Amino acid sequence: MSSTSEAPSVRSGNAPILPENGISGFSLGVVIAVLAFLAGIALTAFFAVDSAVRGWSGELTGSITVQVRGMSAAEIDSSTASALAVLQETVGLSNVAVMPRGEAEALLEPWLGSGNLPADLPMPALVTADVTPELRAALDPLRARLAEDVPGASLNDHGAWTDQLVEAARRMRGLAFLAFCLITAAAASVIVFAARSGLAAHRNIIEVLHLVGATDSFIAGQIGRRYLLLGFAGGATGAFLAWVVTKVLAVVTTDAGGFLPAFSIDTSTALWMLVIPLLLGTLSTVSARIAVMRTLKTDKFV
Amino acid sequence: MDDAATEPSMIDLQDVHLTYDGAREVLRGTSFSLRPGDFRFLTGPSGAGKTSLLKLIYAAHFATSGRVEVFGQDLSQTVASALPTLRRRIGVVFQEFRLLDHLTAFENVALPMRVMGQPQNSYRDDVIELLTWVGLGHRIDATPTVLSGGEKQRVALARALVAKPDLILADEPTGNVDPVMGEKIMRLLLELNRLGTAVIVATHDLNLVRGLKQPILRLKDGVTTLHGPMPAEADASAEATEGAGS
Repeated sequence: MSSTSEAPSVRSGNAPILPENGISGFSLGVVIAVLAFLAGIALTAFFAVDSAVRGWSGELTGSITVQVRGMSAAEIDSSTASALAVLQETVGLSNVAVMPRGEAEALLEPWLGSGNLPADLPMPALVTADVTPELRAALDPLRARLAEDVPGASLNDHGAWTDQLVEAARRMRGLAFLAFCLITAAAASVIVFAARSGLAAHRNIIEVLHLVGATDSFIAGQIGRRYLLLGFAGGATGAFLAWVVTKVLAVVTTDAGGFLPAFSIDTSTALWMLVIPLLLGTLSTVSARIAVMRTLKTDKFV
Repeated sequence: MDDAATEPSMIDLQDVHLTYDGAREVLRGTSFSLRPGDFRFLTGPSGAGKTSLLKLIYAAHFATSGRVEVFGQDLSQTVASALPTLRRRIGVVFQEFRLLDHLTAFENVALPMRVMGQPQNSYRDDVIELLTWVGLGHRIDATPTVLSGGEKQRVALARALVAKPDLILADEPTGNVDPVMGEKIMRLLLELNRLGTAVIVATHDLNLVRGLKQPILRLKDGVTTLHGPMPAEADASAEATEGAGS
């Protein structure tokens, strides 16, 4: 063999051993992006509900309300003064205050309308107070004392509301997480299917690689690397779209000012969004690698 | 060759049968051996089973019965995970080239080095030198889709040689090249053999065999027989006709 006197220029180098357009095409990238988008929405829903649960729990379990009823305004005023005295000397309560009649009337407006209440109507008085967690865990003595010293007074610690809301929210949070897991599993299944199809479509190439000495692990690595990029790119695209949609939804739900939690995305949730492309990239390469290794072992490749 | 005669066989086939689809028996009790440094022409008419015999050696097919031993390994007992190591010691020139159309000539030739995990700078010059030697120095960046049959064959030859294998199996290596390039390829294979590489060249072109003074393994009726070199004045056409009629 003679040696070359002047080496020719070479533009080609380490091109992908598997064709770009076969094993992983644009369509598969779109599917991954869509699944990543859904995963992003599910993740946001999970954190939104989680945040709401914390908010509700904090607001409702951190306060108590004492309602004072009576047959006349004078009786109500007298009982309210007694209730105030009891509450103010109770250790563990702070910011004890009687809700102004105007605010109390505003609470009834949704049912009775504005300006429909007679001035002499004996409306129950509401006394609110912030409560420490220690006292909230043992409210029975206070409840008994109020019943004894203040006729017509009843203590409401919002326990029934809190428990129901937290339980409902906990289930919603579980559903959101389940949806996230199912979407992730769907992405893995799509990748496995695509990897197997790609292997069948490029059977001739796989056989040549085997015949020149390639190991199954080398081939699986080549395919796995392709899916790593695909999963990451699709995941990043889908997560970004989910972030945009969440931002829009956050504006809509904030304007509505409703009781339900705002569909917002805070910094920690945004950081969790970054996990989606990493998760899908890793999941894609691992799924593809396992699928290829199994197929090469079970099918009759040269 | 005297030293080589005392060495263990590189290839040892004993009473090998090969049947396709349980019906068509291609090999019927073939036995032969090859030692390091040996050169054999494998002749026989088209369809005699030359390609099948080569496939048994590089483990693309497995014998229906009999013993196929390559580099001391009984292929019927060899686990699949050991085959890549074995195949890396064999350079194969496929009759149908088996090049990857999406890769350039350079990348096709470099393929055995890539699958072995070699960095490009360790083989780049060798690949260029090989391609230049087979007359494709100006087609290094061309893909097989734009190469002629002869050019593809030369790329396939370069790919078989790039990893400096212990054994070269060439299936009709001159089938698509002009006589000048055909002779050049044969001279290269002979030179590699002289340097110690064992070579088997399957061909039905007896004009190629004649005058090269190398032993001939003739495949006829599914059985191989070893013959001495074909004299330069032998009637190749008569030989071919005999083989074709058997």
